[in-house]
Amino acid sequence: MYSRDAGLSEGRAGAVCFPNDAADVAFAITACRRHGVPFVARGSGTGLAGGATPLDDALVIVTTRMNRVVGVDRHQRRAWVEPGVLNLDLTRSVTQFGLHYAPDPSSQQACSIGGNVGTNAGGPHCLASGTTTAHVLAVEAVTPTGDTVTLGGEVPDTPGYDLRGAFVGSEGTLGITTKVLVRLQPNPPVVRTLLLDFESIDAAAATVSGIIAVGILPAALEMMDAEITRAVEDFVGAGYPRDAEAVLLVELDGLEGGVDEQVRSVERIGHEHGARSVRVARDETERQLLWKGRKSAFGAIARIAPDYYLHDAVVPRTKLVDVLRDVYDIATRFDLTMMNVFHAGDGNLHPLIVFDRRIAGTWERVYDAGTAILETCLAAGGVLSGEHGIGVEKRDLMSQYFSPADLAAQGRLVDAFDPDGLANPHKVLPAGSRCGEAGANRPVPQGAWI
Amino acid sequence: MITSPGSTPPGSTPLGLDPDELVACVSCGLCLPHCPTYRVTGLEIASPRGRITAMRTVESGLAPIDEAFTAAMHACVQCRGCEAACPSGVAFGHLIEGTRARLAANEPTDPNRGRRSVSRVQRLVRRALLGRALTWSWLLRLSGWGLVIGRVLHVIPRRLRSTAPNLRPFDVRVRSTIERGGRPDVWLFTGCVMDAWMGATHNAAAQAIRATGTTVGRAERNVCCGALALHAGEQDLARNHARRVVAAFPGAAPIVVDAAGCGAALKEYGDLLDDASARAFSARVYDVHEWLASERSLPLRTTGTTVVVHDACHLRHVQRCHTAVRSVLGGAYDLVEPADEGMCCGAGGAYAATQPELAGAIGERKAAALRAVGADRPGVVVASANPGCTIQLRALGFEVRHPVELLADALIPQPAEHESR
Ligand SMILES: Cc1cc2nc3c(=O)[nH]c(=O)nc-3n(C[C@H](O)[C@H](O)[C@H](O)COP(=O)(O)OP(=O)(O)OC[C@H]3O[C@@H](n4cnc5c(N)ncnc54)[C@H](O)[C@@H]3O)c2cc1C
Ligand code: SF4
Ligand code: SF4
Repeated sequence: MYSRDAGLSEGRAGAVCFPNDAADVAFAITACRRHGVPFVARGSGTGLAGGATPLDDALVIVTTRMNRVVGVDRHQRRAWVEPGVLNLDLTRSVTQFGLHYAPDPSSQQACSIGGNVGTNAGGPHCLASGTTTAHVLAVEAVTPTGDTVTLGGEVPDTPGYDLRGAFVGSEGTLGITTKVLVRLQPNPPVVRTLLLDFESIDAAAATVSGIIAVGILPAALEMMDAEITRAVEDFVGAGYPRDAEAVLLVELDGLEGGVDEQVRSVERIGHEHGARSVRVARDETERQLLWKGRKSAFGAIARIAPDYYLHDAVVPRTKLVDVLRDVYDIATRFDLTMMNVFHAGDGNLHPLIVFDRRIAGTWERVYDAGTAILETCLAAGGVLSGEHGIGVEKRDLMSQYFSPADLAAQGRLVDAFDPDGLANPHKVLPAGSRCGEAGANRPVPQGAWI
Repeated sequence: MITSPGSTPPGSTPLGLDPDELVACVSCGLCLPHCPTYRVTGLEIASPRGRITAMRTVESGLAPIDEAFTAAMHACVQCRGCEAACPSGVAFGHLIEGTRARLAANEPTDPNRGRRSVSRVQRLVRRALLGRALTWSWLLRLSGWGLVIGRVLHVIPRRLRSTAPNLRPFDVRVRSTIERGGRPDVWLFTGCVMDAWMGATHNAAAQAIRATGTTVGRAERNVCCGALALHAGEQDLARNHARRVVAAFPGAAPIVVDAAGCGAALKEYGDLLDDASARAFSARVYDVHEWLASERSLPLRTTGTTVVVHDACHLRHVQRCHTAVRSVLGGAYDLVEPADEGMCCGAGGAYAATQPELAGAIGERKAAALRAVGADRPGVVVASANPGCTIQLRALGFEVRHPVELLADALIPQPAEHESR
């Protein structure tokens, strides 16, 4: 039941516990340490990289019952929340104050703040406002040695090393957060959402560059290709064009006059690059429906095939057109169905290969194609992961991106927090990066399959 | 290693589920927040994704059908909130119905009969009642919904007996005055339980339908939609009910239903009976609000009353026509939406009786969401289109009425109404 998340890898839980508060978490971690048992934090299990997959029969520490919004300071615009609070529930609980929590992963209805901190989650609206780390002021955490610490603080720049920064995105390898101080944003006075419809991916990608080039920074700028658009439309019926080769979803916000002018500019740029139509959502209901479509994309692909393998690479925006073309070529070469839905504004690609693992021999091709795609992205100056994290699935690819010295430095950081190597073992860093592992090139541990 | 789930032919597996339906779940977890049992427990096994994982494990022979599995499947309210939320289109309702059917079929012969299992005698009694007595409306007039059905399905937990006085029964003195048989423009489905308890609702529905200039009639005999039998896993009994219902509404006139659960059941007869005439029948079925919303608008006065709209799961998640309630009531009332996206209230047919603890926790969550929008303030009414929800919400202390009754109250009498009768 707790052997996997929303990714592909599968492990085995030694035991599962449901702490109610920080003291329970500290108790569990201390017990683990005493008996040398590894442990893994789990929020909602929507991670896509196997971050919450228990290896070595680890104890799974589930935070679903730590789901209180502890306190909201509406004037300073921040709130202390427990890790099990769901991302969208947090925003709902502060709407009455005209505030929201900005990072909005597509899984925001289901994923937890603890998981967001664990993976430094991003989302469509992180283009203008930054990923989770830009919205977390402090974390209270129980370290793998059983100590409760507060990293960061209520003031913007706390003295000393920025360990808060190191903790956000550490995927549970530096400890378990038990309380998070998040920054809240005021709701913008005006929001406009545009849907642009293209006959080619190239035209859509060129429009993205065009928008950024004139100095507009949209609140969100998302692209979906033909197959994904059709799958999404089947689910939401939001009026996405079924015959488009690519669509762009552009959101602009701010003050009335400024936004209207930006809307006109985006319309113009779209038409210059051959957009067939530009639709502006009439009201909040239509806007919500368009977003519901975009945010259902990963789920909706099961309408095409039961499994998906997903990468999360980021490429420089200037290379977007070329990289996309190469990526589709790779899919054709390996005879696979590939779709793309991604945060176009910051060049964060999500190439999805859809397949049916019940058909023999498919998985090997999928994996090889995935690796080829990643190599293409890295060669274009990209990085491995924009937001989903490394987990176990992308772990062995880390050495393609980091030098041994880089990895060793990261390994020493982990050692400082987790001398016994019990916190979410085998995640993030490839085998051999940490002291004591003696450079052994240990493959993915037994019992796990990816 | 790659495992290959579902490589055996359908039907021969422990639960007999369709492997393609099972494999459609990609474990994304987007359904979790929409599941009432997950929300109140935080347990993966009490979530749609967990239940599907458990079904897969059993289907692939990796785990037996044990007490834990059975309990997990019985703890599902069958609200289908997960199905409406699932972008992959997983047919959860079909999966859980299939699973419950297999569990029900296994019951008497199950060697590791747990505490919860029922004896052969209990089962026979339950079948007899689910198959027949629900059409004996006098029996239902005598007792509260939860009590009868609960006692029949499992035995009523002791805890519930103390809450029984709270289950304020419906006003059974009002009989429906709608004519039986004939060749009306539309049929009103009055059901079994509904017929006994909800005479006032049927009369109001008929009044609203007539106000559009349409004639309305009901079936010659009371027939039960079979939803409770289906949810209890008694598929054959449910099919018998379905055949009787299909036969009771001859012709091509639309069949209008004013109980969300019954409407959902009737609309799915096509799949249940899997034949062309059942499909044609299902295509004629409309929820009363859905039908009214598509007709010419009704002459309504503004009442100034605030109405909090509660969506029955089977209206919102299964029939997906809950917006029609707003279109028809909006002209007369100030409508308020609870902020919980139509989360289940925990009533779920006989669920409140068989799973009192979970139903209680889910009910409390619902009550909090309703209170948050002022549903407990004097003069504010909660609109509920399903008798199960109505009982649950009344027990939680709210003033609850059926939307069509509210509508009938706000109708401006038209002279034309009399002519068209
Ligand atoms: C349909 C879909 C769409 C998605 N879209 C996006 C997207 O747009 N952007 C994005 O960034 N991600 C996205 N994701 C991935 C995923 O939702 C995020 O990674 C999310 O942050 C995971 O949250 P969770 O609560 O499910 O965490 P889990 O999956 O349970 O855990 C994720 C990681 O965080 C660690 N962790 C969990 N709780 C704690 C804690 N209390 N303390 C320390 N570590 C902890 C875990 O050990 C694990 O390594 C998507 C996933 C799906 C299924
Ligand atoms: S049932 Fe649907 S929403 Fe839920 S985990 Fe499976 S695919 Fe995702
Ligand atoms: S039908 Fe309702 S209770 Fe059952 S798994 Fe789905 S959401 Fe949960």
